[in-house]
Amino acid sequence: MIWQPLAVAFFGGIAVWFGVAVFRTRSMVRSALSLLASMAAIGGMFLAMEAEFLGVLQLMMMATEMAIMAVFMVMYMMDPGGLGQMDMSHQKRSSLAAGALGGLAALGVALLVDWGPIAPAAPTAGEQTRALGIEMMTRSLMIFETAAVTILVAMIAAVAVAIGRRR
Amino acid sequence: MTTVALTLVLLVGAYLVAVLEGWTATGRFRPAAPLVAGLALFGRESLVPRRADRILFETAPVLLLVSAVLAAAVLPLAPDLVVVDLATGALFVNAAWAYVMVALVMAGWGPNGAYAMVAGWRFLGQLVAYAMLIVMPIATVGMRAESLAMTAIVRSQESWWNAATQPLGFVLFLLAAMAVAFLPPFDLPTAPGELAEGVAGEYTGVRLAVFRLARLVLVVTLAAAVAVFYLGGWLGPGLPPWVWSAVKTLAVAAAMLGAGRFVPRIRTEHLLEWTWKLGIPLALMNILWVALTLWLGDR
Repeated sequence: MIWQPLAVAFFGGIAVWFGVAVFRTRSMVRSALSLLASMAAIGGMFLAMEAEFLGVLQLMMMATEMAIMAVFMVMYMMDPGGLGQMDMSHQKRSSLAAGALGGLAALGVALLVDWGPIAPAAPTAGEQTRALGIEMMTRSLMIFETAAVTILVAMIAAVAVAIGRRR
Repeated sequence: MTTVALTLVLLVGAYLVAVLEGWTATGRFRPAAPLVAGLALFGRESLVPRRADRILFETAPVLLLVSAVLAAAVLPLAPDLVVVDLATGALFVNAAWAYVMVALVMAGWGPNGAYAMVAGWRFLGQLVAYAMLIVMPIATVGMRAESLAMTAIVRSQESWWNAATQPLGFVLFLLAAMAVAFLPPFDLPTAPGELAEGVAGEYTGVRLAVFRLARLVLVVTLAAAVAVFYLGGWLGPGLPPWVWSAVKTLAVAAAMLGAGRFVPRIRTEHLLEWTWKLGIPLALMNILWVALTLWLGDR
């Protein structure tokens, strides 16, 4: 099974490449679509790791999410096409620091957490779907509901700001 | 072998849908017209607009075709005629159709044209309208089959088709499928007569040929998906399974193309109002209805 790690590395490389591309362009639409490509590559990583449901879900959700994000970026940015050569970045130092800290924290979690014994083989795709469904409806129910309501509130707030004051 | 067969099926299906579309649009039956028009496109110059976002402009038609073909890869035309029978097939078709919107947003933004851009963002609004009406009826189909595998969904309809047990879901899914393929009255992103073909307006020559082919393949996959989810897929007496799939798919395609010709194009805000204020409550009622019938059926 040399192909599996190779495929994971391949999609991982694509994800990182497009992740960098998000910040290398001045066009808001290109930036959002690069993020989509990065997220879709992570979906590919899931598929390469035999997590079929998660992979397909990632591919589906990210397409719509990133497109909607593109709308908001075009709505709020002064130069959405990037044709005016306007620098839209700010607080570069603090964002660099936050990025580095976040990366270190993720690495720490990955290395320090006890992940338990490694399963000899992935369960079949059908079993995974069932296990995920049960997890979603029991232990993780509150987490998902809270996240969903938070996102909904943020969306309503963003739309309210965009509409502005009405008579 | 299956892949070759599927490619042929898609090409023949796209041709038949093109003939059907011409027939419903103009009232004239011209079987050679799609071939002639397709060949003519290959002979024409393929222009790139000034200051276009070249990457998005070039990617869009190809991505549209890829998303339609990927959706087709999980649709079973017969018990053994399916490229990949994924355990999450019903979710996978959704994932593939989601990139239709991405392709159209790219095609809208890429060419640096006002009409195209309006059309591209319009289709994003259209996605907000139809997305739930695609997902929720598929959920109930999966509930009855107790699986997201396409072959299991077809087999769950051996006694009754889903169209009979969940008529509400069937109607909602059919309408949403028409919106995915931007068929009239949901042809907001192309809007002939108003946006001058919109997202496709700046494409010419070979690129336009790819775009049109992709749209036809998309109609075929959506019609086939309606047949698989609601009309028993390959199930039927007498004839070989693939013939039943073909007949049902063409019938659904004809219904989708024909029905839209009798209603005016719907406006974006009206579409969103109808889908969110009426469509989604109906889809939720459908989920409740299916859950109740399944629960009572088990007892």
